[in-house]
Amino acid sequence: MHGRLKVKSTEEQKEAKRIEQEKKLKLYTAATEEAFRKRKDGEYDDEALKVSGEILYRNSDFSTMWNFRKEIFLHMNDNKNEDELQELFDSELDFLEACLKYNPKSYGTWHHRCFVLDTMPRPDWEKELKLCNLFLQYDERNFHCWDYRRFIVKRSQVTPEAELEFTTNKISSNFSNYSSWHYRSKLLPFIHPDPSSPAGVKEDILLQEYEMVQNAFFTDPDDQSAWFYYRWLLGRGKKTVGINCVCCDKIHSKIIVSTTEPVLVPDTVELKVEVDGSHMPMTWRTASNNIGYSNLWISDIPEDFKISGSCTLTLTLGGSSTSCSCELLLQDDSTEECYFHKDTPAIWFRSELSAAATTTLKRELDSVKELHEMEPENKWVLLTSISLMKSLDSHSYEDTIMDELKTLETIDSHRTSYYRDLRSKYLTENILERTDLSKRCLRLRDVGLTVFYHAKLLPLLVELDLSNNRLTSLRDVRHIYCLQRLCVDDNQISKLQGLESIVHLKEISIRNNEIKREEEFQFLRKCPLVVVNIAGNPVCDSVNVNSVLRNILTGLKKIDDIKIS
Amino acid sequence: MGTPVKDVVISDSAPKSLLLEKHADYIAAYGKKKDDYEYCMTEYLRLSGIYWGLTAMDLVKQLDRMSKEEVLEFVQSCQHECGGFGASTGHDPHLLYTLSAVQVLVLYDAVDCVDVGKVIEFVKTLQEEDGSFTGDKWGEVDTRFSFCAVACLALLGQLDAIDVDKAVDFVTSCQNFDGGFGCRPGSETHAGQIYCCVGMLAITGRLHHVNADLLGWWLCERQLPSGGLNGRPEKLPDLCYSWWVLTSLKIIGRIHWIDKDKLTRFMLACQDEETGGFADRPGDMVTVPHPVWDSGAVVTGGGVTEGHQSCVLHARRDDPPSGHPTGFIMTGTRDRH
Repeated sequence: MHGRLKVKSTEEQKEAKRIEQEKKLKLYTAATEEAFRKRKDGEYDDEALKVSGEILYRNSDFSTMWNFRKEIFLHMNDNKNEDELQELFDSELDFLEACLKYNPKSYGTWHHRCFVLDTMPRPDWEKELKLCNLFLQYDERNFHCWDYRRFIVKRSQVTPEAELEFTTNKISSNFSNYSSWHYRSKLLPFIHPDPSSPAGVKEDILLQEYEMVQNAFFTDPDDQSAWFYYRWLLGRGKKTVGINCVCCDKIHSKIIVSTTEPVLVPDTVELKVEVDGSHMPMTWRTASNNIGYSNLWISDIPEDFKISGSCTLTLTLGGSSTSCSCELLLQDDSTEECYFHKDTPAIWFRSELSAAATTTLKRELDSVKELHEMEPENKWVLLTSISLMKSLDSHSYEDTIMDELKTLETIDSHRTSYYRDLRSKYLTENILERTDLSKRCLRLRDVGLTVFYHAKLLPLLVELDLSNNRLTSLRDVRHIYCLQRLCVDDNQISKLQGLESIVHLKEISIRNNEIKREEEFQFLRKCPLVVVNIAGNPVCDSVNVNSVLRNILTGLKKIDDIKIS
Repeated sequence: MGTPVKDVVISDSAPKSLLLEKHADYIAAYGKKKDDYEYCMTEYLRLSGIYWGLTAMDLVKQLDRMSKEEVLEFVQSCQHECGGFGASTGHDPHLLYTLSAVQVLVLYDAVDCVDVGKVIEFVKTLQEEDGSFTGDKWGEVDTRFSFCAVACLALLGQLDAIDVDKAVDFVTSCQNFDGGFGCRPGSETHAGQIYCCVGMLAITGRLHHVNADLLGWWLCERQLPSGGLNGRPEKLPDLCYSWWVLTSLKIIGRIHWIDKDKLTRFMLACQDEETGGFADRPGDMVTVPHPVWDSGAVVTGGGVTEGHQSCVLHARRDDPPSGHPTGFIMTGTRDRH
């Protein structure tokens, strides 16, 4: 049992307690032995109910004992008439209520109550709903009781509308009621469905919810519940699977496909390729050759399949709910041709806001800013204002968002890393939106990134500059399958893990980082590296980096700007 | 007008260093007091208790203080004809204890001393039409059992024995507005349940169903000013959440969003200097399951080791976000909050 305060006791007290427990234990052990004996001998009688009841009242997690009790009831079910049974089950419900008062959080007791209701001749659902009300009065966060309530609601066909009203009442008596807010998030998309809207709820209803939750956080700006709920209202709907980008690499005779969400080919989606209308058989695999969900799928172009002259390659992605396709015009003299979806990356980061929603969000932002005036140190207010600005216009608010994230780092110092990562994410998204990805080159230098977000959506980049940030790892870079030139100078990277799968990497510059161990270079083994810049890492002081690198990388031509003879 | 933050204050006299030997002694002595009141009252979870104790001893490299023969004999005695294990000899078979049994057997590299085929059969029969799992034949459905089922099968290398796609669909149907997971569709998010569901998705290679940033934010908001973690918003901190929250964050690659130093301070303050063992929060009584969660959490949080080989599951998937994703395989049975 959790939450028992430890109190210092004297030797006499300890001894008294020991004797007391010894006595209790004797009774308990005897009862348990008797219950097991009766079960073994098939004595499913009143006495069996009595003895198992004594055990379960004190120890309601003893699941075997509940099972015995269920067996007794099923036995009696076959041997008593309806009225007798009704009376028997009614008294069981009383017993269970007593057990729940003693321990309101026992999985076994609540489940047994479900069993009783499903087994008894005439269940009184209304009475059960009242019991839920009572136990939620004792503890409005008891999730066992909430779950039991949902069980009752389902069985007795209480309307979701009535349940929504119940949560409204609960919330108006105490805003700080996460369980009620949670329940609303389940009921609203059910009562007012709109699959196209962010939270799956009709827009006019969402607007009403904004009102309600605003009341809550103006009343108590330090309560988490309302803020989490608000964040949900601001959220966006489920993303659909589509084609992100495609590359037909004639030199390596490969086709590379990137999807907007991870897929499993051919289990969840099929990828079909046609060249000028004739089907090309493909064998899709992931970059790491593992079986599993991935954003990136690669296939060799079959040897006997000739792509000659100028032609059109059509790629079709087909799934149970989605189907889309794209075309690549392959010129006779080109070695490589790429396709980028016209909407990306904007489509990944922005939620499509209707005019009504935009007006609302602006009004919401004004209110939150007003609250910020009153509560300048409140982190929830700041974080929400950031979310609103991000939804409204992440570019024109960019400076304000970055400043406020900086403030959050100070006022909520436990979560500094969270805010820094969030800053990195938002900044990267803005830069990506301003970058023409078809140039296959991305510069994210000197912007204070602590983590490199969205690498999964950038597999066709050839050149990447991440220098002068605060990165500690290169793990995310592993998604950039086509990468040839990488610069990560002036970061805090100590490990090279992630680079082992970049099979086209020719140049890497990793000057002024924290690489200490010679073993890290093993991750470069498979890269066709020609140029490496490594100066300014601790490892350079302890080992002869030149000879180590030359041993591992046979094609190396330059180390730290010096030609290898 | 505002709701006061529920939290605890750590006194200056609370322990500040790890009393490793005391904890090892506490666990070693635990199984020896067979007529102890608490020991008898917790028989209904014995097999899990044994797993927790053994894992903790293994972590502190003192597993040899426990009697392997005695443990294996006991585990064997808990298996039923149907293949499932009960918590103790004579107790009914259940997925919770079946997983504990498999974990203990894997820890001792002694899987062959029971009928593995039957274990797999037992797990298989508990899958429902909608992909969910019941804990036993009495029909209680919970995502905890989804985790137990896949963890069990993965440890035995037999994940394909069940309908994995359907199992995953059920778990994702329990996902909530905050990015977390509950016991059943419609149930509220809870840190212990998050561990089970995120662990389940990691083992089955479907972590892409998790919105790591949203869930990671919710999880790091569990840290209170005292440094301790709670399991749901507006609740008191409890040491066991150091396990549930940290491992979940570790799996989704966001463990650095927690203030490690503050949490360490809280965890050390939960130690009982007198008896050894950990309490749920500073000043409370030591509870049985805490030693292993906490030694496990100390390891996870401290990054001392990324997991113990014998009880770590290396999830098979294309895209591991961070380290060994599933860490120690535990069950979320003891929540009371």
